[in-house]
Amino acid sequence: MLKKIALAAGLFSATALASNAVQAEVKVGLLGGISGPIAAMAPPMLDSAKLAIQQVNEQGGILGGQTLEAVVGDSACNPQNGVDSATKLVNIEQVAGLIGPHCSGSVLAVANSVTVPAGITLITPSGTSPEITGLEDKGQVFRTVPSDDFQGRSLARTLLNLGTNKVAVAYLNNDYGSGLANAFKVEFEANGGEIAGYSAHEEGKASYRSNLAELSRGGADTLVVFDYGDGTGLTILRQALENGFFTNFVGGDGMKSDAIIRELGAENLTTFIASSPVGEKSNSLEIFNEAYKAVGGNPDAIFVSNSYDAAFLMALALEKAGGDAGKVSAAMSSVSDGQGEAVLPGEWKKAVELIAAGKDIDYKGASGDLNFDEAGDVPGSYGLFKVDGDAFALQQALN
Amino acid sequence: MELIGLLNYAVYMAIFIGIYSLLALGLNIQWGFSGLFNAGIAGFFAVGAYTSALLTAPESSVHLGGFQLPVVAGWIGAMIAAGAIAWPIGKVCLRFRSDYLAIATIGVAEIIRLVVKSEGWMTGGARGVNKIPRPFGDLSYLYSQLAYLALVLSIVFIVYLAIERQISAPWGRMMRGIRDNEDAATAMGKDIKARRLEAFIFGAAVMGLGGALFAHFNRSITPEAIDPMIATFLIWIMLILGGSGNNRGALLGVAVVWIIWSASEFVTDQLPTEYAIKAKYMRVFIIGLLLQLVLRFRPEGILPEPQGTADRPEVKTFQNQESAAK
Repeated sequence: MLKKIALAAGLFSATALASNAVQAEVKVGLLGGISGPIAAMAPPMLDSAKLAIQQVNEQGGILGGQTLEAVVGDSACNPQNGVDSATKLVNIEQVAGLIGPHCSGSVLAVANSVTVPAGITLITPSGTSPEITGLEDKGQVFRTVPSDDFQGRSLARTLLNLGTNKVAVAYLNNDYGSGLANAFKVEFEANGGEIAGYSAHEEGKASYRSNLAELSRGGADTLVVFDYGDGTGLTILRQALENGFFTNFVGGDGMKSDAIIRELGAENLTTFIASSPVGEKSNSLEIFNEAYKAVGGNPDAIFVSNSYDAAFLMALALEKAGGDAGKVSAAMSSVSDGQGEAVLPGEWKKAVELIAAGKDIDYKGASGDLNFDEAGDVPGSYGLFKVDGDAFALQQALN
Repeated sequence: MELIGLLNYAVYMAIFIGIYSLLALGLNIQWGFSGLFNAGIAGFFAVGAYTSALLTAPESSVHLGGFQLPVVAGWIGAMIAAGAIAWPIGKVCLRFRSDYLAIATIGVAEIIRLVVKSEGWMTGGARGVNKIPRPFGDLSYLYSQLAYLALVLSIVFIVYLAIERQISAPWGRMMRGIRDNEDAATAMGKDIKARRLEAFIFGAAVMGLGGALFAHFNRSITPEAIDPMIATFLIWIMLILGGSGNNRGALLGVAVVWIIWSASEFVTDQLPTEYAIKAKYMRVFIIGLLLQLVLRFRPEGILPEPQGTADRPEVKTFQNQESAAK
């Protein structure tokens, strides 16, 4: 029993120390799925967010020379740990804003039970669920990744324009796959297309031939796959090609993976197209890629540019709001609304000067222009890619 | 400001401990008093959470519902649904003993999880159910949390009293008798199959109520919440550490494990930043280590099951009769 008291005392003094050490520091929470199902994806995302914070501090700091500090929390990709960690960040660490969590389920729970009631602004780099759009969030929830709705809908319209009006859809049974597939289906059918097969599949099975046979029974010759090209999506595509279930293949952004070309060979992929976000004509992405490589990161890792943008936007919004947590959400929409002088990734000093001069700024992110709408969502700009040699080449833009 | 922050955190912890207490109490009925190794808590948690969510949530294009019943109806519905699901499962699985029952219930929980994920028309699939009403949700942060805490605590208190009463009644003694010596209980003419089913359904209904309270607290429920790690095994650790067969032990176990789990993040945050991410895994390790130590040095848990003491004379008599019979 004594040991337990000692432990508890230790814990409390540790917390007390942590809060006393704060001097001239502005804290933001960095909440990610460190342990749990996306454990492999989370560290590069956190690293790229830290890169943004490092740049802020190297270029004179935030709010008149204060240090911006990121407190890392673990959401474990589930609502239980997400809410627990967010409660600590908001109440104990007293963060001025929250970057994350990574998974949609955590975002919904954290926004509903912590950040919105506490009046803290949240920006997620990878919560893609369409449900996040409809949150009753008083405008305090943002994201730097488009909702699955955008991509699914624009892909559906483009396929119809290309003359494909009968397809079968195979999707991975998680929030990514089902979100995309659902949006695609609704839009495709609403515009006169026919879905001849529609089925979810679980991850990591050895064979999907029975799923594919079932899907092809509807008579469509085009298969739309919403999955990851370095995982189950590859298996599906390979088995569909081998057995000749379908002739044309369309993928979502997860399918635009070099692993597919490497494994299946470009000569077999002449009828394969994939939609994927395309950067605007700014060189934001290249600037970010160079900076991220310089600190030892891999810029091709998934969601790293979104994560960087989320952190940089949070810093810009804090600067603009003058450090007042209650004004961050209004500032967030105004620093990236398509109006004002352009600020590119890493241009912190310039942004601070512009804000100080009272000028309007517009952040052009590494993952796109990121102009927030009323719901805090960003529209995606997507293109259709075809296989050309050993790489993907842009075929046409999606509308 | 700091003080209010601490208070907010403490209130949140208490709410969470209250919700998980229901799961641990439910498991205690099944394992602690009846010896049923249920490794499918997440399944009943899910049934309760989703039933209450669908009964009370506003209409939506992605899932069944639009009933918008009062929250209380949702909670009662959650208990009924979890109990109703437990009935066929118990009918089939309770013929298995210990390890086999555990395997079967893990399977059942996975089936429930996959049904929730796949049957989008009913549950919203991966998108889950949102906009679930939260009682007193319109108040400010602290007051809405305090109000919800009061609600959770009173429910836990009522459930605790109900279980205590049931366990010290002849039914409870009979269940412990069946648990400790099935043959003796059969010889005394007890209908073991039916009794076990009763305990299984009773426990599942309490777990379902826990799930419902969780869904309403977060105003949303997604399949990510019914991961077996966080919704099954963590509760086992809590119960074993606190002391199975003792309701106060179950409550204590939940509090100790969750406080260690949550507060240890402050300690690991003191490490240099290059270790900060890795250090998050330390917490998982600490919980595992704790379980190992408890099982090694105090297998009966922090608060062991009371054994025929003065306040339970009837238990003593029962045991005396039993030893006399030998």
